[in-house]
Amino acid sequence: MILKLLIKEILHRKLNSVLSLLAIITAVTLFVSFFTMSEASKRETIRLTRDMGFNLRIIPKETDMNQFWLTGYSDLTMPEEYVDKFFLYENFSYAHLTATLHKKVTWRNREVILTGISPEIEPSGIEKTSMIFSIEPGTVYIGFEIANSFGITTGDELDIFNKSFTVARILSETGSSDDIRIYTSLIDVQEMVGKRGEINEIKALNCLCLTSDEINPIEILRNQLNEVLPDAKVIINQTIAVARERQRMMVEKYIVFILTFVVIVCAIWIAALAIINTRERQRETGILRAVGYRIGKIAVLFLGKALLLGLVGGIFGYFIGTGLASLIGPEIFKITANTIKPVYSLLIWSVIVAPVFTAFSTLIPASLAVTRDPALILMEE
Amino acid sequence: MVQLDSVTKVYQKKHSSVTALNEFDLQVKKGEFVVVKGPSGSGKTTLLLAIGGMLRPTSGIVTVNGNDIYDLSEKKRAKFRAENIGFVFQLFHLLPYLNVYENILLPDGVAANRAGLTEVKEILDRLRLTDRAYHKPGELSVGERQRTAIARALLNGPDILLADEPTGNLDSENAAQVMDYFAGFHNNGGTVIVVTHGNEAEQYADRTIYLNNQLL
Repeated sequence: MILKLLIKEILHRKLNSVLSLLAIITAVTLFVSFFTMSEASKRETIRLTRDMGFNLRIIPKETDMNQFWLTGYSDLTMPEEYVDKFFLYENFSYAHLTATLHKKVTWRNREVILTGISPEIEPSGIEKTSMIFSIEPGTVYIGFEIANSFGITTGDELDIFNKSFTVARILSETGSSDDIRIYTSLIDVQEMVGKRGEINEIKALNCLCLTSDEINPIEILRNQLNEVLPDAKVIINQTIAVARERQRMMVEKYIVFILTFVVIVCAIWIAALAIINTRERQRETGILRAVGYRIGKIAVLFLGKALLLGLVGGIFGYFIGTGLASLIGPEIFKITANTIKPVYSLLIWSVIVAPVFTAFSTLIPASLAVTRDPALILMEE
Repeated sequence: MVQLDSVTKVYQKKHSSVTALNEFDLQVKKGEFVVVKGPSGSGKTTLLLAIGGMLRPTSGIVTVNGNDIYDLSEKKRAKFRAENIGFVFQLFHLLPYLNVYENILLPDGVAANRAGLTEVKEILDRLRLTDRAYHKPGELSVGERQRTAIARALLNGPDILLADEPTGNLDSENAAQVMDYFAGFHNNGGTVIVVTHGNEAEQYADRTIYLNNQLL
């Protein structure tokens, strides 16, 4: 009977129900779209940061820095096992780690940079989003200029220094030396250039960890590195990455402020509608009390309506918010557009939080309505 | 059956207080048909709601079927009301979003002595509402609305029927029909207390009580 009364009342007072639903949908939509895009924003920052270059570069100690800055990599090599030493050294803080071997070579009568990348190594016990290319042995990623010059497309079979490769991806134009690079797995490059077990750089990225003004990470890193890899040196480029991260955090805080404001307005909106609704239904509470309904049961009618509307609003809000994020997100986050995907865990949150939020907003007016003396209500007529 | 001992009800206003009932005593026997008359503001509705367990008196004891009803918990009092008392109001007090059938069944959700389908059909038939069973109050005549309210009050077979100006909004024909239903309930052994300032109820009553400034 209660559920029947609840649904019939919702359908009877359509305007009030629709306006309440609208408030809930607005709040949930904003939350869901913000969080869905916030993930994209984070990924975009990561991508942009990565594209700016790794902020930690560990190279052989004897590297000629003049040559390094001219070519973008060290001519010298160091043992690949340095990566393991790095990995096993517990005091060293980093987020993403990879080893590379670069070599300028002539291929099809053109100078290209052959770059071998090891699979990404993450600190043990920490799950992070992959930020580094993971290239399968036997496959290559071709820089834009090379692909353009030779008319190479994805899926082509290429012969590079007597090894056969499948083109897994053509990279987009970067306007840098990356456009003349051929990326493949570290092991393939080591074989092709005859430098098995050797690398010329360890790249680490921890831009998202360097956010405190009080820490001077380079000194800490250099001291740590000296302990574990005395034959290597570290170059750190954190300024831009940190600035971008700080900017992202600032924007995030700003949006959180706006969202909080919107949610409060929605809560007041729902409460105001609940007050109107309970005033309209005062006689109803009197009737129900007269025919024997207890205060608790009548309260269930009011709060049940809030929970039901909250549930429906939560579901609609989730799908509208996700739809909006999918629609608008790619316009804002162009690089990581393809990664904007529905966050299904938010659906669970929406169907739990929205009803509770609505019920909470309705609680005071509902409590006042159901505890009002029914006799006084009936005598008011 | 119904007994009021020194019942006083004072309504507290912001700057004053109004005494609706003052040391009021009343005894209504089982199966009695009592009409309570008096001008507006004489405390008729207060008396009815106090008997119905809807309005706690400021002082005094209200006993219904041997129970001091304000000594019962809110939960027990609500259950007692659902099972023993039927209310009929001047303005019918039907839920606008429920049809006749659903309005009649409203107390059924909370009463222990729940009505069966046959009883509902029988009561709809008796009150000539069968054809209107699936109509909402807004689609009914005033007479049909009041009959619906009576059907709702009678559904769970209460011992006592309390009616507050039940004919106040009805024409003489409908008013007479309503009083006939009350008389039928009374003839079957039910106790009826009707509060009114009209005259049509008196011919059915065993006793008439006049309330005027809280004096009998």
